[in-house]
Formats: sequence, structure tokens, C-alpha cells
Amino acid sequence: MNGNEIAAKDDALFRSIEYTGKNFYYAVGIFVTVIAFAAFLYLGQIISGLGVTGMAQPVSWGFYIVNFVFFIGISHAGTLISAILRLSKAEWRRPITRMAEVITAIVLAIGGLHPILDLGQPGRIWHLATSGRLQSPLLWDVTSITAYFAASTVYLFLPLIPDIAILRDRGTKPRWLYQFLSWGWQGTPKQHKVLDRTINILMIGVIPIAVSVHTVISYIFAMTVQPGWHSTIFGPYFVVGAIFSGIAALLIVMIVFRRVYHLENYLKEIHFSYLSILLLIMSLLWFYFTFCEYLTTHYGNEPDEMRVFFYKFSGDFAPYFWAMIVCNFIIPVAILSNKKTRKIKGILFASFTVLIGMWLERLIIVVPSLANPRLGYPTGIYIPSITEWALFAGGIAVFMLGFLLFAKFFPLISVWEIQEGRASSIKEVAHRLRSYLPDELEEDDIKKALH
Amino acid sequence: MPRWGMVIDLNTCTGCGECAAACKIENNVAIVGPEESDMGRTMLWMDMLTEYEGEYPDVKIRYIPRPCLHCDDPPCTRVCPVRATYLNDEGIVAQIFPQCIGCRYCMAACPYTVKSFNWYRPEWPDTMESALNPDVSARPAGVVEKCTFCIHRLQKAKEQAAAENRDLRDGDYIPACAEACPTKAITFGDFEDPKTEVSRLRRTARAFRLLEELGTEPKVYYLYEVE
Amino acid sequence: MSSKTIKFLQYASIAWIWIFVLSVDIWIISLLIVARRLHDAINASVGIGIIAIPLFLLIASALTYVFFGLQKHREVDETRHGSL
Ligand code: SF4
Ligand code: SF4
Repeated sequence: MNGNEIAAKDDALFRSIEYTGKNFYYAVGIFVTVIAFAAFLYLGQIISGLGVTGMAQPVSWGFYIVNFVFFIGISHAGTLISAILRLSKAEWRRPITRMAEVITAIVLAIGGLHPILDLGQPGRIWHLATSGRLQSPLLWDVTSITAYFAASTVYLFLPLIPDIAILRDRGTKPRWLYQFLSWGWQGTPKQHKVLDRTINILMIGVIPIAVSVHTVISYIFAMTVQPGWHSTIFGPYFVVGAIFSGIAALLIVMIVFRRVYHLENYLKEIHFSYLSILLLIMSLLWFYFTFCEYLTTHYGNEPDEMRVFFYKFSGDFAPYFWAMIVCNFIIPVAILSNKKTRKIKGILFASFTVLIGMWLERLIIVVPSLANPRLGYPTGIYIPSITEWALFAGGIAVFMLGFLLFAKFFPLISVWEIQEGRASSIKEVAHRLRSYLPDELEEDDIKKALH
Repeated sequence: MPRWGMVIDLNTCTGCGECAAACKIENNVAIVGPEESDMGRTMLWMDMLTEYEGEYPDVKIRYIPRPCLHCDDPPCTRVCPVRATYLNDEGIVAQIFPQCIGCRYCMAACPYTVKSFNWYRPEWPDTMESALNPDVSARPAGVVEKCTFCIHRLQKAKEQAAAENRDLRDGDYIPACAEACPTKAITFGDFEDPKTEVSRLRRTARAFRLLEELGTEPKVYYLYEVE
Repeated sequence: MSSKTIKFLQYASIAWIWIFVLSVDIWIISLLIVARRLHDAINASVGIGIIAIPLFLLIASALTYVFFGLQKHREVDETRHGSL
């Protein structure tokens, strides 16, 4: 089959690439402005020192580390969800996986750079190369994030190859880019076999890497002996939180781009409904972990731990803490467990609150433990400065810009997987169903059931 | 190899803060303005902790001078990604300023919260600029610093002893805080040698260490006040 | 751009990926040596090394395998514009 013919049906998916509206330039302009502003303030930070932030003693870590954990958390949406859906042969994954993978690649790059923003001497980063020490949890992070980034870009690229080939065959410009990236794909059965085999290997490999990344990030905190951080539950707690916020981000991105690029035909209510049930489950799971974490602390009643505990429960951080519970648990559960509110608008709202809630959670993990030192110091205060806010906004703008540019060059929905779904998934699923059922189903029965 | 350590007698300590002042001058510790100070960016290698004990009206205030405790199993050095802080052979936890990338992980990991960070380039009033101690290296912005037990004095004492062709004696090497204390509450010396004054004091019944239960094995001991 | 340049670029990018992966691995190995010299917690370092080093090789191999697999299983019809 020729690329042009197969793709004709899915023209809507190429619209964002082949047609550039005014709004595209406006959006790019806005994001670039925000990024430039953030870069300008960052330059100021490099020149005069970290004093321009709100950090001090004892709260020596602030927004940069909070956002580092937050962004890396979001990056778990992608690859992990896409790998799990692929692995479990969920047919409804087809229009979702690509977006999930793109989120991962972009957000991971942003998150991974955050610790550099936080350095007092960023020019000395090469010391990590010459005399880094693997016994420091920071180095565990560097290694695992690099690995995850490498794996997830490959995992994004491989399923993209057939789509790039379609673009090449359509003659989309810049042609050389698509020729270069399509690696001579012609869709021959043997090529399919090679590609499928590799995707399968990667999809299994990428799951433990993703889990390890956020576990290791939690170890930055858990490996110290500080009250509120030194906890064995932190690894899984962070992973659950990461997937939770990741799904929320994915839902938002899906809803927004569905609107912008008119993909209603591909992303249907059912996709959102399924994903939001996943979100609901993660919300419950997250609450369970939070409950475990705080109950053990409270029952143990160790004085230093209790100081941090009450700082969160009824002290300075109480508003954030309770807002987090509302955003992460009460609102999503209320909206998503009810079939009537589990509609696009409700899902969008719940996803936003989850993102806010998860960001608050990261804040609540990082700051209170630092603000309440064990010895008799005054309680620390932390008020983020304009630089920190600007860099936060800049990070978000980089993400949106990156996503927009990706959508400009590559289809946001995997075209060939949709086509493959059309061509063979009904048969495949019928086949699978037959193998589940206790008694032999005849071909006719399936046909009858279908009509 | 000696293992340097300190004993601070809380009974004789009056909380005057002379040690903290002497330390600041000795080690060229930056002086920050009042605004910065309010934010919590004061730099003190030797700090004066105030601990309140008991309930009102029966409160007892206790002043505890707190240098870096030079833990024998320091949580701070373990997490440093570039070995800019390490435990040296003589038990001193040292900082290498040109190596530090300023990640502040060691600050977060120190259970005693002793480390300070150079939020800006360190500055002094003009009159002091010329009086800086030439033995202590200046720090750039963006690195972590803390008490070093005046390690430069150890260097000097060793040179002196070598010049006089003898071994280091107890009392040759004394950090600035111990020297400055008007009531002689701070004793400093070698823990390895059982005959030194510090070794004797740290074995007395009054001796205790801060947050001993964490297993950091600090080498600064305190002596309880006697009623 | 001529198909020759593009071919060259493709091979160059594969080479670049290997350079990247190998330098990461060499970096990890050098860190292991540093850890030994400084008497760091060597078990943590070795543990990371054992997992990370083959992992990066695996990622690069996967890409290389796909690249050469796709090249090999083309229909040999260089005149078609889809041949690259
Ligand atoms: S007191 Fe803190 S800074 Fe000093 S050695 Fe111990 S952990 Fe490190
Ligand atoms: S701030 Fe400097 S000394 Fe402290 S852990 Fe980071 S690099 Fe090491």
C-alpha cells in the first residue's frame, strides 16, 4: 500500500503539521517571551549568586528542588503508562501512547536540568564528570535520569518511524528531515517484525527504569536522617505520586490538543473515561500511602518527627497540607467516582487540582523538614522570590513550546497504530476473547455478536 | 594519628558569645547585612544555641556554643557528589571550597544544621577588608562553608614543632574559639592520647554529646552544668 | 539534499549514539575507580555500575538493530522515493 492512500483517511492527524495558523505563532511568541524573561532572571542569579532566591538557612532547598521532583514526576505519565497499556494489550491505548511518550521526553529534560538551576556554582558541573562519587544519591539520580531519558526518547522514536515514513511519502516539508529520520522504512512485513520486536523489548525494559528513577529521587531525601524524610515508604510513595500527577498531566494535554487540533474523532469520551478511572485509582492509592506515612509518624510520637508533623498539620504549612488533601483526594474522588461528573469538563478540572495538589505535596515534603531543625534554632521561613517563580513559569513554558513544536513536525497520534487497529484489532480481540471463554465459539457467533 | 576533638563545659560557659566573634574574625567569615540576616542568612561557624528547658514559669535557659561537631561518621560527607567535604586522617571534617558545586545537599543532610552557604559573594566593611586573616582562603559565592577546627592553625603548629625539632604537644594547636573564651570553657586536643586534658574531661560523668542517638559520633563533647 | 548525504547523516547519527553511550559507560567506570581510591561505599557504586553499564549498551544496541534491520529488509528499488 502506498503511504498517500493509507493516510488519506487520517488527514486530520496531519493538519497540525501541514497547516500553520496564526494562533500557532501567537502561542510560540508568548512562550518564547516567558522563557526569555526566565532566562534573563536566571542570568541575574548566575551573576550575583543564589541570594536572589528566597532560600536561606535552614531552608536551603526551595522551588528548584520542589519543581525538580514535580517535573520528573510528571514525566512518569508517559512512558510508563504507554508501556503498561501496550503490555496489557489495551486496544484503547492507540491514540494515547504517542502523547504520553512526548510528555515524558520533554518534561524529563526540563526536570533533569532543574538541579543545575539550583547549583551555587553551575560552572563547576564538570566536577561530576571528573570526580563524581557514586555513593551520593545525587549521582544515582544523574545516572538513572540519563538512562530514563535515553530509553524514553528511543521508545518515543521507534514507534514514530512508520509515521515519519508516511510524512516522507506525502512529501511534507522539510523533506530531508523525514527522509533522514525514517530510516528507510517501507512497511515490509520483515521491517514490521524488526520494529515490533524491539518495541516489545524496550517496553518491558522501560518500566523498571521508570520506577527506579522516582525511587532514586525519593532517596535524596530518604537517605538522610532528617525527620520527615528518613522513611522507608518514600520510594513507592514517590512512584505512586509520580504516576498520579503524570496521568493528570496527560489528561490535560489530551483535552487541550483535542480541542486545538480537532481530534474528537480519535480521542473519544471513552478514552478519557478509562484514563480517569486510572486517575481515580491512583488517587485512592496515593491517599493510602499518605495515610500510612503520617499515621506511623504520629503513632511513633518521636519528638523531632512530631515537630515536622505538626508544622504540616496545624502549623505554618497547614493551609498547604489540607489544600493538598482536598486537591489530591477529595475533589478527584468526588468528581471521578460519579458517572455524571466523569465528563470531559469534570475530568479536566480534577486533573488540574491533582497537578496542583501533587505540586503542593512536593513542597510539603521538601520545605517543612528543612524548616524544623532538630537543635534549638528558630523555625525557618521560606518565601520564594520572583526569580524562582519566573523559572517555574519558564519551565512550564518550555514544556508547552516543546509540545507545540513536536506537534508541528510529527503527528500527535500514532497514525500507523490507528490504521493497524482498524485493519486487525477487531479480529485479534475476537480471537483473544475466544481464548478466554470456556467453550468454543464459532466464527458465526462472533459475527452475530458484532451485529 | 591524632583525632582532634573538643570539650565544652556548659557550667563555666556564660553564653557571652566571645567564641563566635573570635571565630568570625579568625576565619574571614562574611558579615551579612541586617536584611539578609533577618532572612536567615547569617554566617556563623560557631553559633550560640539557646535551649529552653521546662515549662513556664520554671524555664531554664541554656546556652550551647555549637561549632561543627566533626562527626566521626558524618552524614554530610557521605552525600556530597564531588567530595568537596570529607573526613580527613586526623578526624577533621574539611571543606574544599574550589571543589564545591554548591548543591547544598550536605546542608540538608547535617542533622545539626551547622553549615552556611555563600548566598552572595562574601563582603566585609572596608575597614575590615585589610584585616582579613591571610591564612584562611577566601570563598567565592555559591559554596558551602563551616567550622574547620581552624585547620590552618594545625598546619602552623606542625610547622612550628618541626622547626623546633619536636613532636606536637598538647596545647600547641588550639582553635580561635577555645583561645578566646574568657572563662576557659572550651578545651581542645587529641582524643587518641589518653593523657590529654580533653581525653580526661570527655570520660567524666558530666560528658554528653548532641543527638548521640543518631550514631554520628560527634567529636565535640559537652559537660552538663552542675546545680 | 541528496540521498547520499542523508545516508551519511544516518550512519553518523548511529555512530553518535554509540559515542554517547560509550562515554557514559566510561564515565561510570571511571567513577567506580574514583570510589575505590577514596574508599567510598563501594557496594553502592558497583551496584549502580552493574545495572547502568549494560543498560546503556542495550539501548544503543536496540537502535542499531532497528536501523540495520530496516535497511536490510527494504525492497530493493532505489528509484522509489521511499527508499531512504
Ligand atoms: S556536625 Fe554536621 S557538618 Fe559537622 S561533621 Fe557532623 S554532619 Fe558534618
Ligand atoms: S554543597 Fe558543596 S560540599 Fe556540600 S554536598 Fe554540595 S558539593 Fe558537596
